[in-house]
Amino acid sequence: MTMSGDEHYDFIWKIVLVGDSGVGKTNLLSRFTRNEFNAESKSTIGVEFATRDIVIKGKMVRAQIWDTAGQERYRAITSVYYRGAVGALVLYDIAKPMSFQNLEKWLNELREHADPYACIMIVGNKSDLTHLRTIPQEEGRLLAEKNNFSFIETSALDATNVAEAFNNLLVDIYKIQVTGDESTIISSPNKSDSRFKLDSSVTPMEGGSEGCSC
Amino acid sequence: MGEVNNVKPFTENVLRSNVDGYGFERGQNFDHIVYDDFMSQYLSVLARRSARWREIVGRKSRIQRSAKVKRFCRKGIPSEHRSAVWMSVSGAEERMKKRPHLYRNLLNGQHDEHLIETINLDVHRTFPDNIYFTAADDPSGLRRPLYNVLLAVATNNDKTGYCQGMNFIAGMLLVVLRNEEKAFWLMDTLINVILPDFYSPDMIGARTEQEVFGEIVKWKCPEVYKHLMKLDVSWQLIGAKWFLCIYADVMPVETVLRIWDCLFFEGPKILLRVAVTLIMQTKDKILASRDFTEAVGFLQRIVSEKEIVNCHIFMKNCFTLPGSFPDRKIENWRKVCQRRIASDP
Repeated sequence: MTMSGDEHYDFIWKIVLVGDSGVGKTNLLSRFTRNEFNAESKSTIGVEFATRDIVIKGKMVRAQIWDTAGQERYRAITSVYYRGAVGALVLYDIAKPMSFQNLEKWLNELREHADPYACIMIVGNKSDLTHLRTIPQEEGRLLAEKNNFSFIETSALDATNVAEAFNNLLVDIYKIQVTGDESTIISSPNKSDSRFKLDSSVTPMEGGSEGCSC
Repeated sequence: MGEVNNVKPFTENVLRSNVDGYGFERGQNFDHIVYDDFMSQYLSVLARRSARWREIVGRKSRIQRSAKVKRFCRKGIPSEHRSAVWMSVSGAEERMKKRPHLYRNLLNGQHDEHLIETINLDVHRTFPDNIYFTAADDPSGLRRPLYNVLLAVATNNDKTGYCQGMNFIAGMLLVVLRNEEKAFWLMDTLINVILPDFYSPDMIGARTEQEVFGEIVKWKCPEVYKHLMKLDVSWQLIGAKWFLCIYADVMPVETVLRIWDCLFFEGPKILLRVAVTLIMQTKDKILASRDFTEAVGFLQRIVSEKEIVNCHIFMKNCFTLPGSFPDRKIENWRKVCQRRIASDP
């Protein structure tokens, strides 16, 4: 059974996916939330989102992951996109040099619009395309280190590192949002602090919800 | 180039097939019972409309815009007349006659490499659920025509260029018209005349329409407006794809075509009517959503609600349920909303 109603969660965290058109944002999301990959997927228009519930250090967390069109002009239409995001996966395609060059543009976009405490992870996607690779793993890692971001290579197609990417990011977010420090973990986080918490007077009811619980 | 081989209009399709008359595969969740029930009624509606239209279309090559034709468009254009009527009432036919060689010239001219790459990326991601768009090398397939139309549109409108979303519109036009050049001219008319600035680099037209949508919900359905505001659900989240794809790949095909029957005659107001009707018809369910996730989840599935499948009833509702939509009021909101967007980028 899927839980329903935001009051069930200790935390609801918004995560955004960014990166050039065609780097695989939508499939990365569907692999993580539904364990699905679609080689013939549709271009994403507007904003879509899916959720997945996970338990981190005994706390029930709902990851609310947003996905949007990669074309630059869509930034204007989705100004709400970055608002309230506590984490971002910035994707490039390991076989497309342009998508790697454009990371700087996406990082600037995040610096400008996202929460300054948002956790950022650089993701080199399509790691299954070994014979077409043009960006060595080291290059991606270096860029991430230079900026103090985390880094991972994933393949939505064969599922390599997809769960790891999201889980590592969520743990990073936990450290920032809950403990405020990497070394200390507070046993009872201050719930009222979270701007994503909804009115706790809402009564729980039976019903479906997006995504899956795990 | 030009005419591609014809498919049977959907009135002749085999019910219970896994592919509809336009080549779209029906998903696992396709409700044959609900659909058959609707189709058994709708076929007689189509036959009646077809007879009425023959009186108008049969007599002359060009259909004049009149109150009668407007009324007829709202009741639906039979598939055999759709191409001719869309071309006439939108003004695309006239624009095509003025520049008969433009389409071919655009395709034969020089093209930007980056543009070609961008379009190709989306051609492969347009209607993968439609049999005409799946086979890459199928000569009767629509991938090549889709590429041509998008390239011509983007080249002819170099300030606008290619904007994602156009792929679904051009794809749907090709499915219906089966003619590249006409699809190009309808697309060009949409961008320049019917939906100006929808697809421009700042997308100001589409952004304005989304805001106006919010204002109309506030006016026609204030409790839904309040509820969605409380849950922090913005209009951009709901309406972006609805407006940018003008409901293609959003609504069931028959419904999309009925919306376009009105759009090509009347202009973009129909997009707002549809959006508000969707909200009003499902008001109770929206109000029952208790958090952001539930509300957005429902709104993203709203179009597959039972009451939307019957496009004839749905279109009727679009003109009755929301009540009056005075042009002056809408125009005024467009001005106010555009100013609001400009001051808060």
